[in-house]
Amino acid sequence: MTMWHRMIPKLVLGIAAIALVAAAPAGAKVEGDTIIIGSAISFSGKYSTNGIHASNGYNLGVKRINEMGGVTVGGKQYKLEIKYYDDESTPLRTAQLFERLIKQDKIKFLLGPYSSATTKAAAKITEKYKIPMVEAEGASRSLFTQGYKYLFAVLSTSEQYLASSIALAAEIAKKNGRDPSDVKVAMAFENDPFSLDVRAGVIDDINKFNMKIVVDDKLPRDLSDMSATLIKVKALNPDLLLISGHSKGAATAARQIKELQIDVPLIAVTHCEAAKIVDKFGASTNDFLCPTQWAETLSYTGKYFGSAADFDKLFKAEYEGYKNVPYQAAQATAAVLVWKEAFERANSFDTEKLRDSLAETNMQTFYGNIKFDQTGKNIAKPMVLRQIQDGKFNVVAPTKWASHPVNWPRKAQ
Amino acid sequence: MAERGASPLIAVGRWVHGLDPNMRRIVLYGCILAAGISAPFVFEAYTFAIAVLWVMILFALTWDILGGQMGYNSLGNIAFFGIGMYICAIVQIGLYYDVALYTAHDGAVNIHYTPEQYFTGLALGIVAGGLGAMAFAVVFGLIVFGLRGPYFAIGTLGVALAAPELIGAWDYVGGGGGISLPNYPGGPDERSRLFYYLCLIFAFATFGFLKWLYSTRFGLAINAIRDDEEKAEGMGLHTMRYKMIGWSIAAFFLGLSGAVFGNMIGFIEPLEVAFPTVTFGIFMIVMCLMGGKGTLWGPVIGATLFHTIKEVTWAHMLGWQWVALGVLIIVTVVFFQQGIVGWLKNAFPEWYGITVDEAVSAESDADIAARLTRSEAAE
Repeated sequence: MTMWHRMIPKLVLGIAAIALVAAAPAGAKVEGDTIIIGSAISFSGKYSTNGIHASNGYNLGVKRINEMGGVTVGGKQYKLEIKYYDDESTPLRTAQLFERLIKQDKIKFLLGPYSSATTKAAAKITEKYKIPMVEAEGASRSLFTQGYKYLFAVLSTSEQYLASSIALAAEIAKKNGRDPSDVKVAMAFENDPFSLDVRAGVIDDINKFNMKIVVDDKLPRDLSDMSATLIKVKALNPDLLLISGHSKGAATAARQIKELQIDVPLIAVTHCEAAKIVDKFGASTNDFLCPTQWAETLSYTGKYFGSAADFDKLFKAEYEGYKNVPYQAAQATAAVLVWKEAFERANSFDTEKLRDSLAETNMQTFYGNIKFDQTGKNIAKPMVLRQIQDGKFNVVAPTKWASHPVNWPRKAQ
Repeated sequence: MAERGASPLIAVGRWVHGLDPNMRRIVLYGCILAAGISAPFVFEAYTFAIAVLWVMILFALTWDILGGQMGYNSLGNIAFFGIGMYICAIVQIGLYYDVALYTAHDGAVNIHYTPEQYFTGLALGIVAGGLGAMAFAVVFGLIVFGLRGPYFAIGTLGVALAAPELIGAWDYVGGGGGISLPNYPGGPDERSRLFYYLCLIFAFATFGFLKWLYSTRFGLAINAIRDDEEKAEGMGLHTMRYKMIGWSIAAFFLGLSGAVFGNMIGFIEPLEVAFPTVTFGIFMIVMCLMGGKGTLWGPVIGATLFHTIKEVTWAHMLGWQWVALGVLIIVTVVFFQQGIVGWLKNAFPEWYGITVDEAVSAESDADIAARLTRSEAAE
């Protein structure tokens, strides 16, 4: 009898306390003079390196816009602010967190997560609630064939990442009097939507030139070891080695290529800058080919950050430890700029009007031109291929943007 | 202190206490069911989080069949969750499209489902997910039930680690690229509610089924296996059969939950979503330990507490959430080895219908021995 007397009030108080704490974050899309944009990004887990680059990019974009007076909607000045959650690099968490941002935090404007897999999970939720999302880090083509209407991507799609390295290998073969069909290709890709689409793009090009694939491996799920692949590469002597596994994959590749002294005349790796492989592995990364969405040497300019080089300088001043500014950060900043202009063009916080306004985006920025097609992907900006030449990233392809000739064969260090 | 403010509560408490045990049980289940059904309307913004709670309760309950009641600690139960998820997806897509084309990495098919196609696919997919997971449980069971103790745990872990790698290498289902499941052909809140209620129904079904199951001879048999498997075998129990049935039941409900969960998330892939071995796979064990393994209510209470704490730390302690979770797990394992329900049973045995005779329990062992000798002598 007495037990119930004592327990029930405590129990109810406890539950009420928990409910209060849980209910606390309920906010609104626009609070006072602040527009709150939501995002769940990888602060931990295998994509955390790039998740942090991307959030740095978002933050710099927000800071710059706020410094320049913020966003004007309906004649009123608003500041931007981002609410973050950590998706732990898993789409499982992304879906829950986007649901939380939209339903619990009542946020109506979103920035994408890092990686194609998490973006695919996020897009399912944003599409369901018809909440527009500008994303900067999901490149897989499979994002843009689903008929999504509230998804806008500022970056180029993944099949373009390594395609130009195939063309380059063919060109070099011809120059040396060999037939491109003699070129032997070894490749290792992470088993995720992004890298698999990079692979699909590469295979199309390899087939076009009739090249031979001698190694076609998948990287292990935690991306920490690819020595088995590299030992095969050593035995088979391919002319071209392709690797894609986000930052962690790039770091693993650079480390083990050095350790195992892999000597392939042409090596192309995605995410070199983001993985900071030059800082970490020095001269052993010389002559790696690195596809990039953006380069500070390109002649893009825009009204918020000036030229690509100006952005590069500002970013390095703002964040310590960057010898090269990864394109992941630059495109994240660009996504914030897209939101800013969309708010002002729509002159409203109505999500439908904002969606239409986003679709009309046609702007020049330090990151390149941004114009979305029907499916929401940016079609106004090319990708370039850079080579690490004596520790510097120089554009070598496509020819239109090339500032330096390609070093071939790669000097094994 | 709060006596006056809480007096209506005391009145409720008094009323509840005055009821006979059966009536009290009905009131309790009624309250939980009413809370569960009304939640998506009362706490609309939390629908998704509460749906995950039901799935967590289902996880803990199914793990406890083997881990708690039968004494077989499986680390691989999460495999059935993923298998159910994938079977459901294949059925949903395969009924109307070529699965390989649908899952192509460059996104070859533009998908449109009519409501009829969607619901047919979903219903068949969920059933197939449950049954398929059950079939796999029988196959895996033949392999791993030869093992005991830590060998069994590691054997099952092997199953949970191999499954995502196999599916990740299988291009037909998109490999590591995963599958975006068909879009729900209706409004967003309607979709949330549908999956919420499916989670709710499956969690209740699991609980109800296990409550019944544990009250039958089957419950006693698996307890006997836990206490002494050789002796149980010696007493004529066909232990292999019991183990297999226990595991299949767990697999069936996990398969159902996986099928629903995959659709709720909308995008599935093998490494992180379908087979989250180090998150959900471990959580289901922690929840059981926290609530009290080998009890019916322990997993339910453990899952509720765990999920609530997790959601709160994830939202308010960004960057420290895993540390908080680690501390919670360590505290549970060190200080509450019997879990909450186990601790309650010790502290308040009268709640569980165990009568403690203070006079008898105050007697020392020597007194009892002396008394017994006396009574023997008197005979």
